[in-house]
Amino acid sequence: MDLRVPSGWFFTLVGLILLGMGAFAPHMGAAPLTTENVNLYSGACMLVFGLFLLLMAWRAAHSAKGSNP
Amino acid sequence: MKLAPVDYVILALYFAFVLGIGWRLRKRISSSGDFLMSGRSVPVWITSLAFIAANLGAVELIGMAASGAKYGIMTAHFYWLGAIPAMLFMGIFMMPFYYGSKARSVPEYLKMRFDEKTRAFNAFSFAVMTIFSSGISMYALGLLLHLVLGWSFDVSVLASAAIVLAYTFLGGLTSAIYNEVLQFLLIVMGFAPLAILSVNKAGGWQGMVARLPPNMTHAWSYMGSPTENPMGVEIFGMVAGLGFVLSFGYWCTNFLVVQRAMAADSMSAARRTPLIGTLPKMFLPFIVIMPGIAALVLSKMNLGYNFPLKATGGPDYDQALTTLMAQFYPAGLLGVGMTGLMASFMSGMAGNVTAFNTVFTYDIYQSYIRPGAPDRHYLTVGRVTTVVGVLLSIAAAYLATRYNNIMDLLQLVFGCVNAPLFATFLLGMFWKRTTAHGAFSGLTLGTLAAVLTLSSTTAEGKGGWIANLYTFPSQMAQNFWIAIIAFSVCLVISVAVSMFTTPRTDKDMEGLVYGLTKVPHDAAAKWYQRPAPLTVIVVILLLILNIWFR
Repeated sequence: MDLRVPSGWFFTLVGLILLGMGAFAPHMGAAPLTTENVNLYSGACMLVFGLFLLLMAWRAAHSAKGSNP
Repeated sequence: MKLAPVDYVILALYFAFVLGIGWRLRKRISSSGDFLMSGRSVPVWITSLAFIAANLGAVELIGMAASGAKYGIMTAHFYWLGAIPAMLFMGIFMMPFYYGSKARSVPEYLKMRFDEKTRAFNAFSFAVMTIFSSGISMYALGLLLHLVLGWSFDVSVLASAAIVLAYTFLGGLTSAIYNEVLQFLLIVMGFAPLAILSVNKAGGWQGMVARLPPNMTHAWSYMGSPTENPMGVEIFGMVAGLGFVLSFGYWCTNFLVVQRAMAADSMSAARRTPLIGTLPKMFLPFIVIMPGIAALVLSKMNLGYNFPLKATGGPDYDQALTTLMAQFYPAGLLGVGMTGLMASFMSGMAGNVTAFNTVFTYDIYQSYIRPGAPDRHYLTVGRVTTVVGVLLSIAAAYLATRYNNIMDLLQLVFGCVNAPLFATFLLGMFWKRTTAHGAFSGLTLGTLAAVLTLSSTTAEGKGGWIANLYTFPSQMAQNFWIAIIAFSVCLVISVAVSMFTTPRTDKDMEGLVYGLTKVPHDAAAKWYQRPAPLTVIVVILLLILNIWFR
């Protein structure tokens, strides 16, 4: 098992949840000392990180297939 | 603090992923070696992150933020001084002996290098310590979740233990290691925003420097005398006690971390494991300690943020991390933060349980209870030990709820057992004249010296059960000096006894001692795969950090 696959999916999903919260419910459960839309920013970072892991795993699987048909 | 439904969704998603990883890895287990040692087949980036994640338990995470609030940036010495140099030493000098000797555990290395009694001493004390560490971590988490979220102590302890048990039982060490990496990434993702938000609110680093006394924002400048700095330690105690004896004793001989490197797929990867681990490790203080310092600043800024009070009075710094989350994290990110906290607890506990089952199965059961059985039998024993280890940890957690002081006491006992160990390994690996009797007498008398020092000195009203010959300015200073004394006694006694006893022949010690072992030189490897260039990069970065925060 390539660990980048489950980790990638995990952060992609959590990233999407946070992005959704940031985009559609920016004031839900707001925190007293935070004015910025941190769900949106953190969600975007996690989504990018998750997709990056998935891309790396996909590339590794792809090149392994290419060299060992 | 109250969690929203979305926070529970994130928590549930995380549980599903860790269990899923365990489930997927269950097919890889066909021998005791697969279950207890990952079949020595884990890629290096994974072992490196697991190497530092196994040590990043809930107690460490909560404790580091609390120490940040209490002692300021000096707390970073637990990373920069108290971990990185030892990790480098481990990768460059010690790993060739651990990995090359084909020992399955640290106690087994001691058996190969010295004899049965030294192994037994190390195996039994290590097994007891892992169970109690895991129990204490569980207790700390249960208490915090009860305090912060109002969750039932029993439910949080039992449910999180059940999940750790499920994935370690299914996939063994590989599952623990793979999950530790996911947990590490989650801890970073969950707490990095908190560090950014809280430090920003506190006016950035410059704003924090302006608002705090200078000895809270300088790591080195106020260490001339114990009265100058909040930790109450002086530079020699800090460098020799923490930076040398305690950190080398922990990072180079504790099987909990060494086991991660030994699971790597080659000698070269095993050596690089702690070296690569230093890179994320040296930047962890920004995520785990900075929020604590920022919390202290925020509590002085009239923003409505304050530390909760302890029942005995005084601020409860242990709640720094969770109270900051309540102030800065909206629903959603709060779920990620709380999941990160749960993840830290699980990685710490799984680390202890997987180290315990390996040492119990190979060094206690196979050595003293039933040697010579077929491998299938030891695989079953390994699995049963995993269950027993988790049950014993739960028992230890409940013991801690009953006798609150037991935690303090155990931490002191751990210190006494750990302190002399590095002297034994240093001599064993680098001086072939060291004999088994020398090592054993050094180790036992070193431990005794630690216990005697603890019982004849006091610090902050603790210790001194036999007499009070000296009062240390702080418990931290006492811990460091106990370590220095135990190490010195172990070293002197081991050398003295070795001189009067017969050493083993060179042939018996091939692969176990420096000078009789072929240390690999990865000349053909790419530059970033070789230990030397990696070490140079790490040392330069480390110097920059220390000069910056001097």
